[in-house]
Amino acid sequence: MIESPATREGGRPQGRLALSRAAAMGWGLLSPALLILFVMAIAPTIYLVYVSFRHENLLGPGSTFVGVQNFIRVLSDSDNWADALSTVEFVVLSVTIEIGLGLGLALLLNRRLPETNLLTALFILPLGIAPVVSALVFRVLLDPAYGWVDYYLQTWGIIADPIDWLGNPGTAWLAIVGLDVWQWTPFVTLILLAGLSGVPSEPKEAAALDGAGPLRLFWHITLPFLRPFIAIALALRTIEAFKTFGSIFVLTTGGPGTSTEVINLDLYRIALQNFDIGAAAALGIVFLLFLSVIMQQLLKVLGDNTDILED
Amino acid sequence: MGKKSNEIGRGAPELSRRALLKSSAGLAGGAFAVSIMGAASSRALAATTQPSSLNMLYATSEADSDAIKAALPDFKTAMGFDINLDTMPYNALQQKAFAELASGSSFYDIMIVDTPWMPALTNKIEPITDMVLDSALSGDLDIKDFIPKVFFDTAVYKRDTSNLHFDKSDVVDPAAIKAGGFEIFGLPMQANVLTLAYRKDLFEDPANQKAYKEKTGKDLAPPKDWDEFAAVAEFFTNAAQRRWGTTLMAGAGDWATDDFKTLLAGFGGDGHLVNDKFEAAFDSPEGVRALTYYVDLINKKKVTPPGTTSASWDNVATSFSDGLTAMTMNYHDLSLSPNVKGTVAYATVPMGKSIGPHFGTWMLSVNSFSKNKEWAYRAIQWFTSAATQTKALAHQLHPTRASVYENAAKDPAISQKFGNFYDILGKSLAVGVGRPRLTNYGDVDRSVWVAVNNAARGAATPEAALKAASGQVRDLLAQAGYKTL
Amino acid sequence: MRSLYSGLARLVLWVALAIVMFPILWVLLTSFKPSDISQALPPVWDFTPTLQNYTDVLTGNTYTSQVFGVLIVHSVIVTLASTLIGLAAAVPAAYALARLRFRGKRLTANWILSTIMFPPVVSVIPVFIIASRLGLTDTWPVLVIPYAAFGLPMMIWMLRSSIRQIPFEIEEAAMVDGVSQAKILWHIVLPLLTPSIVSASLLAGMLAWNEFLFALTLTRSAVKTAPVGISEFTNMYGTQWGTLTAAATVTVAPILLITLMLRQRVVEGLTFGAVK
Repeated sequence: MIESPATREGGRPQGRLALSRAAAMGWGLLSPALLILFVMAIAPTIYLVYVSFRHENLLGPGSTFVGVQNFIRVLSDSDNWADALSTVEFVVLSVTIEIGLGLGLALLLNRRLPETNLLTALFILPLGIAPVVSALVFRVLLDPAYGWVDYYLQTWGIIADPIDWLGNPGTAWLAIVGLDVWQWTPFVTLILLAGLSGVPSEPKEAAALDGAGPLRLFWHITLPFLRPFIAIALALRTIEAFKTFGSIFVLTTGGPGTSTEVINLDLYRIALQNFDIGAAAALGIVFLLFLSVIMQQLLKVLGDNTDILED
Repeated sequence: MGKKSNEIGRGAPELSRRALLKSSAGLAGGAFAVSIMGAASSRALAATTQPSSLNMLYATSEADSDAIKAALPDFKTAMGFDINLDTMPYNALQQKAFAELASGSSFYDIMIVDTPWMPALTNKIEPITDMVLDSALSGDLDIKDFIPKVFFDTAVYKRDTSNLHFDKSDVVDPAAIKAGGFEIFGLPMQANVLTLAYRKDLFEDPANQKAYKEKTGKDLAPPKDWDEFAAVAEFFTNAAQRRWGTTLMAGAGDWATDDFKTLLAGFGGDGHLVNDKFEAAFDSPEGVRALTYYVDLINKKKVTPPGTTSASWDNVATSFSDGLTAMTMNYHDLSLSPNVKGTVAYATVPMGKSIGPHFGTWMLSVNSFSKNKEWAYRAIQWFTSAATQTKALAHQLHPTRASVYENAAKDPAISQKFGNFYDILGKSLAVGVGRPRLTNYGDVDRSVWVAVNNAARGAATPEAALKAASGQVRDLLAQAGYKTL
Repeated sequence: MRSLYSGLARLVLWVALAIVMFPILWVLLTSFKPSDISQALPPVWDFTPTLQNYTDVLTGNTYTSQVFGVLIVHSVIVTLASTLIGLAAAVPAAYALARLRFRGKRLTANWILSTIMFPPVVSVIPVFIIASRLGLTDTWPVLVIPYAAFGLPMMIWMLRSSIRQIPFEIEEAAMVDGVSQAKILWHIVLPLLTPSIVSASLLAGMLAWNEFLFALTLTRSAVKTAPVGISEFTNMYGTQWGTLTAAATVTVAPILLITLMLRQRVVEGLTFGAVK
């Protein structure tokens, strides 16, 4: 079957028959992927919408239609709003630090020092470690009685008494953000480093000859080249940070109290510990709506700064 | 002739020869009939054919899975089929157990159930009362051997109003249970109650005894009341030498609630936390006193190791066994690390106005969706039998049968290995205080442990923390449909 | 001055490396320590390394009910299956999005990318219920299909970017010569796409290997994977550092090695092929 080049990118526009054949082929090629995504994204959403209007407690008596009661309950619970705030705080803190640190490290690594290759290779490691594993390791290391962190901080005289990292909200926040930063800054660094390696040197040299200082060089020459890469790193990290579950679950389980409880942990508790599926579905849908707004913004950032969304 | 043959032994004193012949024929006939019936009924049971294996969901060290694993070969020999054992630590286990039951899965035939879960699960766990009353199935059960307090707290519920307690008698009588409208939902397997463990060597050290006498004028001994407890803990604390008086589990988790309710009972409050009128009973003068005492131990007197406000069962067990503390309160026997030279002995927790160590028991139950309920029931009978439990003592099982405690007392090998643990365990079970029976106990539990943890960290005063918690609990009870009576 | 900056830069980098490597090295070190000294403070440095922890983990001499080695095998199967299925769906989809023009394409493309916003904890609820009702709990499909779905958006976008970078003239020439569409895809495009396929597979594979929530909720023992197994290494009697770190090493080592060896591909994938 010879396809008219007109229906392909870079061809000349032509007849409708060719276009419809392209459509048929297009949808055909897309169908396996769309099927999988239907099963995993659309069907669950339909189910969630259906269930959010019912009181469906799997352990108790059967389900009944309750209208918007679940939504009212979920939206009027001040704990949920506190956790929503915690979630946003977590994302903003973690992503900002990761981008900042990642950029700094990428700039340093870009200097082509003798050990750059080795360092780059080693920096990639946290990326491959399962978040659950790193959370467990952090938990053990932060133990006030046995963990090495407090031990060495004390031996080096930095602190006098061991810090109960996971027992105080402030330090528990440090711990979950610290874990996320440890796990994902290398990810940002690698992306930005790849971007930096593509920055042409002539404009920089020319500007340097003209007397521009390192800061202006960076701002006016390097940064524009880096924008697509920062956009990718920002978009990917932001959406992933909103989805974080395993690492916080294992490290603090939302504690102490509920100070590090993000919405994902709430959802888990309501759905899979209380089995109040209706309430969980309502909360889940509200969260999804919020995330789709975020996603829209992120897609816009990607579209404005990169060409990966273009046709 | 056939009909009369059943009336065996009712014959007149003088039997004519003919009558004798008749009655012996009758006897034979009757015996034959009974044996046919017996064969028929066991064939009926065998008609639910013996499975090649059953699936069992179990905890790990919380319910002494080592004992179960060790018993599996004996099980195979005795019962003729295998048990496929899945073990999980507490949180994962609870989530898995509830998930299985919520989704109506028939995968696990036998499931372990912890006491606080049961009120929510009465419609998903198979009541075994009828099987218990069936003498063919339960001939060897010896149900009266189960410690009554433990049995009633753990296994007896009313299906639809799961918050009610059955404690109308001191004897486990299945017929009476059934008559009262209650059901039996499993057989208790591992009984846990809070006990005090202490370093016998430190307490018997003459230097320590002398110093303590000089300091307080009293003899150094395992504390009998909470004031002594604080005094002894202070005496043993020397942070520079990495030694503290005791552990406490003030981390955010169920263990903190259990610590608190023990103290609450000790200070004269209601250790059940929620009373029969569905009121939060911990926001009381006794509760405030108990929590203040607890918090002072941690923050004022500083008799606990660092990390107490995020400690749970495993941290405190490690702390004690590594020799960091002189005392600890926990739910199982403890051993010291190889590099710590000492001996461990046990005592009941200190008494205040009253005594009420927290207790909760694991039981083995039959999944109501199982396809092998009868065989599952036989299996749990075997596992909770006196013989199996006695043998499991060597693996530190906490028995639920009175006779097994007697066996433990009589066995010198047990005392050698575990000291006076089983003696204290038995005594503590007799005064233990369980949890309130609520379908949403998990959420109530959470409110309380958050209060305890907040107070322990100094984030709230004991009064404020308890007040906040009782407000939450009131709302939770209302949400779950429990109306204040 | 320049050398001062250089010196400072190197110092910062080495400190950063120390922070990055510290937990990893700790895990490795502790896994070779005999378990009775693994928690000792001050840390014991002078010891004879032992493989006991590894043998315990791989032969099941721990208090978990399953042999950890079996869980690793499950992880391998699930990761390979989901990655292959994902690829089989992603390559044609990427090709369609890159080369063809038809109504609804842009919307579909954006929708596909936006599915990565779905928090797994939200989608696990209906999947759990439906899987239970269908009796699919603890079976291969219940993990393989979700994992394939998790990796699809990224895979499709990466491959799409890469296909767009292949000059169209090659395919055009083949089409003019009368070569069938399928043959073009298979013999021309695919070989050129190999580096990107490797990148996409690596990233999707990592995602599947490290996934925790779905495996935790949807498996019992027949399909349980390594991350779930690791989370079970703590209990009432304490955490066994030796076996925990040995299990962690066994879980993490394969991914780390592959990532190290193929890091060029990883970076390529992460930057959507923008940098070769």
